[in-house]
Amino acid sequence: MTKRLLHSAGLSLQRGNQGVLSDVNLNINAGECVALAGANGAGKTTLLKCFMGLFPEATGEIILCGHNPRNLSPKKLSAFFAYAPQSPQSTWDYTVKEFSDLSPNTELYFHWIQRFSLTSKIDKKLSELSGGERKAVHLCLSLSTASNPKGRVFLFDEPAASLDICRAEVFSDVIRELTQQGAAALIATHDLAFAQKCQRVILLKSGTVMADGSAKEILSPKIISEIWGFSSASA
Amino acid sequence: MIPARILKFLGIIFLCVIGLAFLSVSIGQAGNGWGANYELIWLRFPRTLAALTAGLALGIGGATQQGLFRNPLADPGLTGVFGGALLGIATLLAINDSWVWEHAWSIPASAFTGAMLTSILLVALNGKKSTTRLILTGLGLNAFTAAGTLIIATRFSASRDILISGMTGDWLGLATLELIFIPTILCGVASLFLLTQFLALDRLSLGEEMAQSLGVNVAVTRRTCVLFTALAAAAATCLVGQVAFIGLLAPHFARAIAGPRHALVLPLSGLLGAGLLLLADTAGRSLWPQAPLSAAAMTALLGAPVFVWIASRQND
Repeated sequence: MTKRLLHSAGLSLQRGNQGVLSDVNLNINAGECVALAGANGAGKTTLLKCFMGLFPEATGEIILCGHNPRNLSPKKLSAFFAYAPQSPQSTWDYTVKEFSDLSPNTELYFHWIQRFSLTSKIDKKLSELSGGERKAVHLCLSLSTASNPKGRVFLFDEPAASLDICRAEVFSDVIRELTQQGAAALIATHDLAFAQKCQRVILLKSGTVMADGSAKEILSPKIISEIWGFSSASA
Repeated sequence: MIPARILKFLGIIFLCVIGLAFLSVSIGQAGNGWGANYELIWLRFPRTLAALTAGLALGIGGATQQGLFRNPLADPGLTGVFGGALLGIATLLAINDSWVWEHAWSIPASAFTGAMLTSILLVALNGKKSTTRLILTGLGLNAFTAAGTLIIATRFSASRDILISGMTGDWLGLATLELIFIPTILCGVASLFLLTQFLALDRLSLGEEMAQSLGVNVAVTRRTCVLFTALAAAAATCLVGQVAFIGLLAPHFARAIAGPRHALVLPLSGLLGAGLLLLADTAGRSLWPQAPLSAAAMTALLGAPVFVWIASRQND
């Protein structure tokens, strides 16, 4: 039986007078790579953060790897998921090598550094890298938190944005391999080409799930035009 | 693994601090050297020990505050925490000064209360805002606590001299083993605890959400670091009085030598803080023996230009 790693039922979140998420119901199983698409402000990032337990005020059921993330300590919770933010930041100017100290698994971090062709940049400071390279280094750190991908959830927010074509391709391959090894991935993205490579696409509009299905079904010209207000031919 | 270059720097700085400590116990107004029966060493030893431990706590406290607020301009002296500690002492002196001197523990206790209250205000007023906001909030808290201490100093004549010398960072000259005993231990305890926070501080530099995803309990780390930084600042205030810039300079130099990793920045900041404060005190009293300068005045001479330089490199 396939293991359900992410689940929400009736998930809603109100911030101020505004409803950010409204009655979100979804299930993601081990082995699935799911793209979370939607226009700006649709609630994609907020939904990812709800699964990380960052909004304890959210109502409804949230289950991450069999646990309610709102009831777990960050240390216990971190064993179940890996996260990559939309705009990674670092206050201090670490070198790519020094950055490994922040990872719970240095060896794995260097494995991903090699995979993303960053070995030659190992002694460079983050400020000396291009935006795409810096993003890739942060992705390596996020990926290195999952020593054993089986049963883990990858919550990545716009991971491929600003990566060059080669590294974006590497990222797609890596996510596919990790899900094949038993992980689940929920990836917020505006990149419809990336979304088409995922098994499933969930479309959010104004905090509500508008559609959930295979990329072929969901990314139809009609739905794209409904969500983004333009035709896929003009994109 | 620590690179050989950094280990060499650590060794050199450690030897310099030891050398400075010998120099500090060897020179002074009572005469140079150690005395026939080493009596001059024992006379100056409390002052040297006080400067070393206060500098250590200030260096580590400054590095922690910078890591916690993710801001290279944070320093307990500039963010009003020292001012709060001194106001705590002043308030207690105003309530009952004779009782205070009979109960040595009450001075660090009142300093800690003042430092903690100021730290809580600083966190509450600053929130997750910008560098500018942190410094402006600190400026306001500094002005407020200085005004409170001044009012008490002018209204209660018995405490005037001691409070004014505290405000000018001139308490090292009063050091006796009895007076420095508790604050020295508190400096050590606070420093040791803060040294263990290196990984959490490193991960916090990635932002709170990323730090949490790496297993950092952000709320607990924030609370404990604020608590122990306040303890370090309070204990250091009991030893030196108000002395700004050590907590700013030491981490800045430490990062220039060893890079940004807190596993190296924290101990190196402690070592550099101890060395800088001891150097400032020794230079202040030996270069002008007839009219010695306080350690705070000496550190400000070096620290203020560096502060302006770092501030000019900030983006907001």
